[in-house]
Amino acid sequence: MLRNVFLKTLWDMRRALLGWAIGITAVGVLYAAFYPAIRTPEYEEMMESFAPEIMEALGFTAITTPVGYLGSTTFGLLGPILIIIFGTWFGTKAVAGDEDAGKLDVLLTHPVSRWQLVAERLGSLVVAATLICIALFGALLGISGFAEFTEVGVANLLAASIHLAALGILFGGLALAVGAATASRATAVAVVAIVGIVAYFGNTMASRIPELGVLRDISPFHFYSGGSPLANGLQAADLAVLLLTSVLLVVGGGLVFNRRDVAV
Amino acid sequence: MPSVIETERLTKRYGKRRGLDGLDLEVREGEVFGFLGPNGAGKTTTIRLLLDLIRPTSGSARVLGQDPRAAGRALRRRLGYLAGDFVVEGNQSAQELLTFLGNLRGGVAGQRVDRLADRLDLDLRTRIRSLSKGNRQKVGLIQAFMHEPELLILDEPSSGLDPLVQQTFLELVREARANGQTVFMSSHVLSEVEQSADRVGIVREGRMIAVEGFEQLRARAVRRVEIRFDEPVPAVAFTNLSGVTDIRVDGTVLRCLMTGRADELVKAAARYPVATILAEEPDLEELFFTLYRGEEASDAA
Repeated sequence: MLRNVFLKTLWDMRRALLGWAIGITAVGVLYAAFYPAIRTPEYEEMMESFAPEIMEALGFTAITTPVGYLGSTTFGLLGPILIIIFGTWFGTKAVAGDEDAGKLDVLLTHPVSRWQLVAERLGSLVVAATLICIALFGALLGISGFAEFTEVGVANLLAASIHLAALGILFGGLALAVGAATASRATAVAVVAIVGIVAYFGNTMASRIPELGVLRDISPFHFYSGGSPLANGLQAADLAVLLLTSVLLVVGGGLVFNRRDVAV
Repeated sequence: MPSVIETERLTKRYGKRRGLDGLDLEVREGEVFGFLGPNGAGKTTTIRLLLDLIRPTSGSARVLGQDPRAAGRALRRRLGYLAGDFVVEGNQSAQELLTFLGNLRGGVAGQRVDRLADRLDLDLRTRIRSLSKGNRQKVGLIQAFMHEPELLILDEPSSGLDPLVQQTFLELVREARANGQTVFMSSHVLSEVEQSADRVGIVREGRMIAVEGFEQLRARAVRRVEIRFDEPVPAVAFTNLSGVTDIRVDGTVLRCLMTGRADELVKAAARYPVATILAEEPDLEELFFTLYRGEEASDAA
């Protein structure tokens, strides 16, 4: 684990990663475990009484089916929010945070190039987000019998978890890129927050407001859940878009990082 | 002798603020070069430029014959660097960190690390977080010296080290020189480089104002001296001593400024019963001031 920056980054964060995995898994599982409670006609009636615009904005659709329920809860709002927060935390720390703390000097005065640093840190982000989502997948699989959503299927559950990881990687990559380019943690967090909010509402509101169609077509959330991985399994093209965009963002951030001064 | 560090009109501006203003520097192979200057003179800026952490506004730098930016990793493999405050992830043992940093360099023999830790009296199993500032600096010394680099770049290296460890540090520097390694060491106190530097460069406001052998520098260093006697002494006994100025005698206490050798002053004082002698560390600012006066005088001439 001490061989290179990629492994060392994961190793240094092992406790924090365990915490994130437990936290995200716990929230996802608690949410999912409530499914039997809402699988009743009364609840369905109540949900139908809410304004559809609000339901849509919150991402609640067909909430009484297992796929609809999981897609609206664990994988609908809280899961994405938490994995995006995780990605932002990780991505911000990767360059800007360490630079701010003065920890980058020691690494960069060793035979480590700046490109290598951002690439290896992106690699550790990918592994970290994937591990967290695999933990979530395992826990959901474990309770699927008791919580009555076995009909979703193992493959689809895994697919949704992988899509979730890719969403976290994208926003984490964005935070990493902005942090690397600007050396500012605050800027990185602000950019992620703005992009995240615009992308989320752009995606959910688009069916109501046709003018927002473009926004949905480029929204990361569209590539995350537009193809309904919970119902249809892995969407290779969507995943590729998310991951490639992450790489391109980090390349862009790396270009600036490679030219600029490292702050004292 | 080939030069290991060579800068030409090296300039760095931070917006309007000037970091370096056309610095010319030459460090020769195998020497220990002391890079002296008050805080804010541009020492750290120079070092960060040499390490490619920052890029020059204009001018050029060559380290081991290469451009720091273009040579990148290959060049840094041949360097050892230590900053005045060595900051790394706190939640790891010194051993863990040094193994990792060694691996980045393609592996460093464990016994070399152990030997250095022994000499510096550092327990490698301790977490970095629970180390004192001085002990953390020891970890920094080990990572700079452990791979026996061709060039050591040390930025105020002994800050926070207690006097005993400073002696060990100076030994390490002397051994490095004996081993053919070159040492470039910055400081804002004369005594830090006094015992090891072959040559000293003095930087002020981003420019090199003098480079000379240490002996010449010492000859010019001005010290504040205070001698206490057991009985009152006449001021007239201390006039016309070479290198002694600003004499004030206050009953049993003599205060003056002494430049260069202490011989005449000590012999004059020895005629009376001496209780204590206090000679202060030469003040760099004062040294720069005399250098400046010298510069201006020669400019005027």
